[in-house]
Amino acid sequence: MGKNNSIKTVWIALLIFLFLPFILSAPLATEMLIYSLFALGFNILLGQTGVISFGHAAYFGLGAYFAGIALRYFGSSVWTSLLASIVVGGVAAVLIGALSIKKKGVYFAMISLAFAQMFYFLALSALKKWTGGEDGLKFIPILKLDFPFHVDLASPYPLYFFVYFIVALSIFAIWRILESPFGRLLQAIRENEERTEACGFDTTMAKFISLVFSGIFSGLAGGLLTVYLGYVPVTTLFWMTSGTVVMMTILGGMHSFIGPVVGASLFLLLQDEISYLTDRWEMYVGAMFMALVLLFPEGIVGTIKDKIETKRKRVQESQWVGDVS
Amino acid sequence: MLFGFPPEIYLMQIVFGLALGAIYVLLASGLSIIFGLLDVINFAHGTFYMLGAYAVYVAVSLTGNFWIGLVCAVLIVALFGALTEWTLLKRLYKEEPFYPLLLTFGMAVAIPDAMKFIFGLIGKVVEYPSGLVGAIMAGPILLPKYRLFIIVLTAFVMILLWLFLKKSDLGMIIRAATRDSLMVQVLGVNVSRIWTVGFSIGVGLAALGGAVAAPMVSAVPDMGVEMTVECFVVVVIGGLGSLGGAILGGLIIGQVVSFVSLFAGDYSNVAIFFAMAVILLIRPRGLFGEAGRL
Repeated sequence: MGKNNSIKTVWIALLIFLFLPFILSAPLATEMLIYSLFALGFNILLGQTGVISFGHAAYFGLGAYFAGIALRYFGSSVWTSLLASIVVGGVAAVLIGALSIKKKGVYFAMISLAFAQMFYFLALSALKKWTGGEDGLKFIPILKLDFPFHVDLASPYPLYFFVYFIVALSIFAIWRILESPFGRLLQAIRENEERTEACGFDTTMAKFISLVFSGIFSGLAGGLLTVYLGYVPVTTLFWMTSGTVVMMTILGGMHSFIGPVVGASLFLLLQDEISYLTDRWEMYVGAMFMALVLLFPEGIVGTIKDKIETKRKRVQESQWVGDVS
Repeated sequence: MLFGFPPEIYLMQIVFGLALGAIYVLLASGLSIIFGLLDVINFAHGTFYMLGAYAVYVAVSLTGNFWIGLVCAVLIVALFGALTEWTLLKRLYKEEPFYPLLLTFGMAVAIPDAMKFIFGLIGKVVEYPSGLVGAIMAGPILLPKYRLFIIVLTAFVMILLWLFLKKSDLGMIIRAATRDSLMVQVLGVNVSRIWTVGFSIGVGLAALGGAVAAPMVSAVPDMGVEMTVECFVVVVIGGLGSLGGAILGGLIIGQVVSFVSLFAGDYSNVAIFFAMAVILLIRPRGLFGEAGRL
């Protein structure tokens, strides 16, 4: 991950997102921002730490539900409800992580999926008095901001730029975390956990903290989804949501900072286009994902980066040959 | 009366739980064999279970005989499994350990949707085989014949599997490759082929589970996913990679589901995850799991 490049690509991405609602549509662009944040939060764990979770729907969905519950039952402000989604994302990560983060990679993937399904079934049947069961959590009052100044979140463009503001702040926060010594430690774990441990680092604790950060940003993304949709669909907790964020991240490229943002945006754009043509979106996206894993496991950004690097190397070599002759 | 139900109900509930547990046992032992050999968590395990149910539907409507259908279903899906391992999964073993898992996940997304495309959204009903309709009266309790058959069949298959792994040459090689595939390769065995065989055995067990479940639940495209997750819970409880663990875990989860749905129907889906959390707290490697492996 090129240090200087990554922040440059963040600025470019944010610049593009400034115009995106006018090129595509405000709702689609809003969704892209929210899922970009979700995928970035997810990638703290996958791409940066090398731990794969198949249960991130838990943090996303719990964030969405707790924001919705705060808004609907407690009449709290948008800021408080987003805070609730951050807290619940973090707390859920602490609980699940405490039970499972010590496990070897693929085993953790399995347990995380199981716990996410537990929350799905809780929302679907056991707690349907509060969550609305299959219909999702509805009747969330129309949202607006009163602090620091008045914003009407019921109209698409103000809503978009409110989400833009939060997501941009979060992206810089994630970037800061990953550029810190702690972020370097995570990358060391990804490259070689045994060696990192032998160097005297508590890798289990580092992975645990990475999961908690990941849960926090995923929860926030869920809270933003509630603010955007005005209700909470129960599918936010469904296993397919966990799978979607995995596919988005792999599509964009998990080993680059901006990859998840590219992946999430392109994924939603494709979904939007293909859904017009056919009902069989899952069939196509599943097949495409299999092809991606087999042929371009580094994703879009990773593959482009590799191409540029080999080209640069070739140019350098030819220059060197030229100098000699 | 015992906790608000007559005692016979409990006996029936135990039998129902055993039949459900038997299907978990079939699937979880397949999952365990695949993990033991390939270090791959098969996210498409429930998908193969679903394919087993559809295969038995197709085979029964073509041949008109449930037993021929059952055998055909297992063989066809196992062959399909071998084919996917041989053509797709095999390419990914050199990559990071979770790439094979991602591929099986892609299958779990694509294949059920493809089945909706082919067979439609409505479930396909498979008739009970003629000899196993109805129930046996055992004193005051009513025991459905088909569920008893599932329990007996599973016990039989598990004994066969155990004999195969412990007594046959191929079984010995599979067990050795589970321990140390490199060493087995060095000794001159084509391990790559063993992996294909092991994967198709695991898939075949999942398909058998789906095929025997088909008359009770009818084949629907989305039946697999929940099964995959329930299987994960079973192997976490029993200990991944252990056949005994898969059996014990499956039986426990069968009883848990059966009894929780009797007392608190809304919680029957959630209870197994609580059971998993408890096991992770008090015995993280699972009941029969080896220490230090995971």
